[in-house]
Amino acid sequence: MSSRTLTYVKAFNEGMHQLMAEDPDIFLAGEDVAGYGGVFHMFDGLLDAFGARRVFDTPISEQAIIGLGTGAAARGLRPVVDLMFMDFLGVCMDQVANQAAKMKYMYGGTVSVPLTITTAGGAGLSSAAQHSQSLEAWLAHIPGLKVVMPASAYDAKGLIVSAVRDNNPVVVVLNKKLLGAKGEVPEELYSVPIGQANVVRSGTHVTVVAIGRMVPESLKAADILAEDGISLEVIDPRSVSPFDTGTLVASVRRTHRALVVHEAVQFGGIGAEITAQIQDEAFDYLDAPILRIGAPYSPVPFSPVLEAAYVPDAARIVEGVRRLVKRG
Amino acid sequence: MEEGTVDEWLVGDGDPITVGTPLLRLATDKVDVEVEAEAEGLFHRAVPAGTTLPPGAVIGWVLEVGEAPPAAAEATQASAPDLAVAEATAPSTPDAAQAPVTPVAGDGLAARGPGGGVLSSPYARRRAADLGVALTAVSGTGPGGRVVAADVEERAAARGAAEGAALSPLVRRDAAKLDIPLSSVPGSGPGGRITRDDVRSAARLLRRPDEVTVIPLKGMRGAIASRMVASLHEMAQLTHGFEVSMDAVVAVRADLKRDWPEMGLAVPSLNDFVVRAAALALREHPGLNATVVGAEIRLLPAINVGMAVAVPGGLVVPVIRDADRLSLQELCGVTRTLASKARDGNLSLPELEGGSFAVTSLGTYGVDFFTPVINPGNVAILGVGRLRDGVRWTDDDQPLRTRVLTLSLTFDHRAVDGAPAAEYLQTVAQLLARPMVLLPQA
Amino acid sequence: MSEAAVQDAALEVEADVVLDLHRRMVRIRLFEENAGKLAESGTMPGFLHLYVGQEAVAAGVMSVLRDEDQITSTHRGHGHAVAKGAEFRPMFAELYGRTTGYCMGRGGSMHINDLSRGMLGANGIVGAGIPIAVGAAFASKYRGEDTVAAAFFGDGGSNIGAFHEAANMAAVMTLPVLLVCENNGYAEFTPQAEHMKIENIDDRAASYGMPGVVVDGMDALAVRAVALEAVERARAGGGPTLIEAKTYRYFDHQGIKGMRIAYRSPEEVEAWKERDAIKLMEAVGVARGFATAEFFAGVWDEVLADVKDAIEFAEASPHPDPADILLNVYTD
Repeated sequence: MSSRTLTYVKAFNEGMHQLMAEDPDIFLAGEDVAGYGGVFHMFDGLLDAFGARRVFDTPISEQAIIGLGTGAAARGLRPVVDLMFMDFLGVCMDQVANQAAKMKYMYGGTVSVPLTITTAGGAGLSSAAQHSQSLEAWLAHIPGLKVVMPASAYDAKGLIVSAVRDNNPVVVVLNKKLLGAKGEVPEELYSVPIGQANVVRSGTHVTVVAIGRMVPESLKAADILAEDGISLEVIDPRSVSPFDTGTLVASVRRTHRALVVHEAVQFGGIGAEITAQIQDEAFDYLDAPILRIGAPYSPVPFSPVLEAAYVPDAARIVEGVRRLVKRG
Repeated sequence: MEEGTVDEWLVGDGDPITVGTPLLRLATDKVDVEVEAEAEGLFHRAVPAGTTLPPGAVIGWVLEVGEAPPAAAEATQASAPDLAVAEATAPSTPDAAQAPVTPVAGDGLAARGPGGGVLSSPYARRRAADLGVALTAVSGTGPGGRVVAADVEERAAARGAAEGAALSPLVRRDAAKLDIPLSSVPGSGPGGRITRDDVRSAARLLRRPDEVTVIPLKGMRGAIASRMVASLHEMAQLTHGFEVSMDAVVAVRADLKRDWPEMGLAVPSLNDFVVRAAALALREHPGLNATVVGAEIRLLPAINVGMAVAVPGGLVVPVIRDADRLSLQELCGVTRTLASKARDGNLSLPELEGGSFAVTSLGTYGVDFFTPVINPGNVAILGVGRLRDGVRWTDDDQPLRTRVLTLSLTFDHRAVDGAPAAEYLQTVAQLLARPMVLLPQA
Repeated sequence: MSEAAVQDAALEVEADVVLDLHRRMVRIRLFEENAGKLAESGTMPGFLHLYVGQEAVAAGVMSVLRDEDQITSTHRGHGHAVAKGAEFRPMFAELYGRTTGYCMGRGGSMHINDLSRGMLGANGIVGAGIPIAVGAAFASKYRGEDTVAAAFFGDGGSNIGAFHEAANMAAVMTLPVLLVCENNGYAEFTPQAEHMKIENIDDRAASYGMPGVVVDGMDALAVRAVALEAVERARAGGGPTLIEAKTYRYFDHQGIKGMRIAYRSPEEVEAWKERDAIKLMEAVGVARGFATAEFFAGVWDEVLADVKDAIEFAEASPHPDPADILLNVYTD
């Protein structure tokens, strides 16, 4: 089958169409997912294709939405429930973390929760503090959940497929600023394994671990640095939990320098966990301390000038790498 | 060889070469010679024909295909005495080969942490262990002067190049012809470099049937050897001989021998008297209780007299601290204790350090005058000869037997001139003539 | 117990219903009392929230549900589990934290579940089971089945956001779910009058557009009647019902010791005990000639033997192996 260029959001949408076509137990519920197709148009066309029984709008009730998904999943359906903005996790965290994530464990393995929660995170759209966060660290911290963050059109389709087919509660975090990113996407239904990192670009001097939107930013940085003969290896973990430590460590053992970059606030971000794991398993191979780049310890600002300074970008990654390789 | 001239290049710049390819005609003050390549690759000239250079200067590189000659690889080999064809440093790890940053030959040594340890990255330490590089010898170019892997690798490569260049092609050819393994040839050239003469000497030696007993210059022997050489090398040493009358000391000592034992007191030896006199005399001649550091003579505040003690395998010099302030009785106790510890091998480090002057005695071996070597760090040492009979003439021309011994004062002429040294000896002699002043604390 | 009450309760009821209700309630009562003693003595780890006094509600509702109908429960869930048909052995084993427990020792008192009997799980978070029951009901409707779901919660639980969201969603989506509020008059240690303005929680039903009903929660037959109507409505596609059962717990919020702070008077407790649900059922049974007092006493004995057997089983059961600490965090 062939590939063609699709945007990230279109690739995701295609994945949803193809999934729902093959499995009648999949239904989609959330705020404005049906008629409107979701505020980010991730769900365009699904109502028309599959009808109101399988694609419907809910009241603004995040706890009830996630609970609906949890209860239905416990009864063997394969729900996809949408949490419009990742920031709204606070409203329904109990259902996500205490109910969906833990039922398999608490109930002695007798109950499975094959629930998919789709959501959107990330800054850069002047959406301010309560609509711009990257909260994957909250989710990664809960055993029983899986968390994936596609950074390309190919992965957007591949990961929603894996997420829905997974028999565990999986949170799929799309990045709002990547919705228009284009990439080659195969026509057929395919999946990207959860828990497998992707070496997006091979290199020899520094391992850059990038999350979400920082993946394309790291690639830009890699091009800039290549002109000075500095070769970056860029790794996209794709899954924040479960995390593919092996690929990362193998890379650092070759390059001897690591930089971890994410949009989320640096303090207590998932970068801290990744850094600790690298240190744990590749200590004797490190020629420099591991560098983290994240957002400053503040809510996301509204002012475009401040927001631009807030979110890490290729320039900051370049600067970080230069610091790592600097000699003399 | 002091310098050489590249008379004529025998290969073109960038030409491929193999082992044995004649590279250039080299003119030295002793001989004109053809220098052959020892490696394979593409030869790149560093200097044009007609250039005259000192030993160790880089004249060219042997490169891999596609490799560029290093910009700053010269001048790192002060110890490589012969003209060297430096092999372009083939780095042992691929990443070092592509290291994009210009290596800076650090001028300092590795940065130290608060405890004095070298600051280095974990991977640098690993590389240092693998390559046998001492981190203390590496200058660090990482943040805060931290040693990073590339620093270690460059040091290893430079060292390798230096070692490789220490053997000139001619020497190698000689050794091969004479069938001498180069590892068995001691080098007598600068920096321990093996010369053609060394190879020929080794060849002659190897033909003798005599067996040679080898005593390694290690441990105490090695330490003595290197300290003696260093001392003689550093200082301008000469020795005054001076005969002193010991009649008064002998008489006092006889009294002590009679009275002190039953008081439970040990009787000071002749040497104790001399040490005490030497220490007190230093108060009047502080110029001999000094040390030379760099371009400075530093007069030392405390008079700590080292006393040489022969021990199996060599000698040690424990230090009597504040020897000038001890009474003779106290001094006697200290010298006995130190001597005993020395023979038992129980001296602690503080007991061996801090000496500002030393006294050494060969009297018991029958030696009168000798030229003791100054302990590195001091400016003088007093040798004590044997107690012997001398003669002095009375006022009415009658010979009178006296008891005398010869003091041998070696001094560092950088710090002390002959006259002051002699004056010191005069003071010592005066004190020994009045032994009662030696008894109490001063 | 008054004659009138007995007469009222006996309206239109068959022997097997009475006996069934009675047995369910005795099973709950004896399980709870014995479990309570074991926890209080430190023999069993953790703390328990005992259902003693509220048996009629669980028994009444479960008696009209099938095994395929799923219920979600609360921290005070042993009564629901037993009434739904959970067995004593795996229940006690779970309370003891053994591998033979319903949750393999990983869940404890507040997470007892048995999907094969329709017990989707007890829950340690107040009100969290309500949205989950709504989800289970949705699955029934989605599949076109006539199974229903029931969510149990207390007067305190009816104040939490999850209740309101779930009730509204159930109503607007017309889902086959019973929202059963067991109003025992207290949210932990706070009396109802201090935690809500209204007296009857069923008044809230109207605000979501669903029917609501109040019932005497000490009368299993009355509860059953009301539950049956709601279940039939749900199975027929008529959507949710809010049932408020007025009941009482004899013990404290948790444990069986006396109350640390006397937030309830002994007179109040005694007054409710006068209307004990099991005594009522026995009175009805005897009055209608369905069974003798001896028969009922025999039921108590049988159930007690069952309890003791289960405790022995639990105490002899193995502890989980720490090597298995990551078991069941994920589904393969």
